[in-house]
Amino acid sequence: MSESRVTTLKLSTLSQAEKHPVHFLPCEIEHNREANVDRYFTPAINKNKNEMTVSFRGRALKGQEINLPQGYTGLVLKEDHRPISDEEDRTLRVKSTFNSLTYWNLETQPTTDDTIVMAMNWPDIAAAIHGAVED
Amino acid sequence: MDLTKFDEDNSKSCRVVSAIPEVCKTTDCCLGIDEAGRGPVLGPMVYGICFCPISMKKDLENLKVADSKTLSEDEREKLFAKLSEANSYIGWAIQILSPNSISTSMLQRAKYNLNAISHDTAIGLVQYALDCGVQLKEVFVDTVGPAEKYQEKLSKIFPGVDVTVKAKADALFPVVSAASICAKVARDRVVKSWTFIEDLDVDAEYGSGYPNDPKTKEWLAKYMDPVFGYPQFVRFSWSTAQSILDSKAVPVHWDDDEENGEKAAAKQNCHSMLSYFARKKSGDTKREPHRYFTERKLETVSSL
Repeated sequence: MSESRVTTLKLSTLSQAEKHPVHFLPCEIEHNREANVDRYFTPAINKNKNEMTVSFRGRALKGQEINLPQGYTGLVLKEDHRPISDEEDRTLRVKSTFNSLTYWNLETQPTTDDTIVMAMNWPDIAAAIHGAVED
Repeated sequence: MDLTKFDEDNSKSCRVVSAIPEVCKTTDCCLGIDEAGRGPVLGPMVYGICFCPISMKKDLENLKVADSKTLSEDEREKLFAKLSEANSYIGWAIQILSPNSISTSMLQRAKYNLNAISHDTAIGLVQYALDCGVQLKEVFVDTVGPAEKYQEKLSKIFPGVDVTVKAKADALFPVVSAASICAKVARDRVVKSWTFIEDLDVDAEYGSGYPNDPKTKEWLAKYMDPVFGYPQFVRFSWSTAQSILDSKAVPVHWDDDEENGEKAAAKQNCHSMLSYFARKKSGDTKREPHRYFTERKLETVSSL
């Protein structure tokens, strides 16, 4: 990657960004564009008391909704024009925002030991260990 | 046969039962087991049991029940009506295994194959009859797999019951024919009135659901989604569905995928013996991030 290249995030687009639900799946899908989530996935989610289940490609998933750490917002970015060369600058806009997401485990019940739940604690810990010490 | 309970949530399996005739609780009974919809790539597999007093086998035979496969859908519906009318001495129960439950069981981390699912379902239904107080003495089972082993297994689980497992039992024993009619009627009705849980605009021209049916093939080709594959109506664990997805849908990788050779070895951190003798590359001294971060899959990203 070229060192001189500049990537710009157009923050002005933030105010127009819509809020879309986000699902975090326990698999790698080789697809990086629109998908029929509203037609295939969302209607098939089974909410039973505090348990959420669904299936994807015939595999059973169990899910849970988690909030992002306080003071953080999730952004989905979109690059409308892919640069042709490595030197060209890049421009991204905010496509949608989210403050919570649903993460799904393959067959196992969501717990506080799940990677993504533990990862969300980092901002608090980082603030504590890097913050100024008061006497 | 009231299938509303299944229709309300056709992603899960469901049991539908008749009332238990009083006479079945006081006299020795025979029971037949059969399945419908084992082969199709679409829709549920249905297990059926039917039972009546041994002393009334002749009455059941006089209803002219026959192997459901030799009958038309209309004939099956008529015979099922007759079985329902004879509710003073005939009882039945069915277990509908939704296509979603078949897919997710067969594709489970700890694989649960179709034979094991079939056996467990049959056992569950026989146990249900016993729990309801049916005086079971004889059980007849139709099977596709090896009959002897299955018969031995069932005899062990249900001591005091005389178990007969036979290929084509549905043509040999009227009580098995009756069970096959219950199962097939349920499967036909469910497939015919399938409500897609997904928000889709699909036609119902899916044919019999058997992988070699041209209509089924055409339907599968027409309604494949590149990301999600198919609605839950399709059994993802069938090779017919899987091979279409493998060639036409976007690849999806799970952490329990079976990988072979180098890739798997690299993942498991296996090094070739020779690598221990190789000279360490001088520039290769990048510091590993702390375990705290690797465990949480946190990484510093400096470019998009």
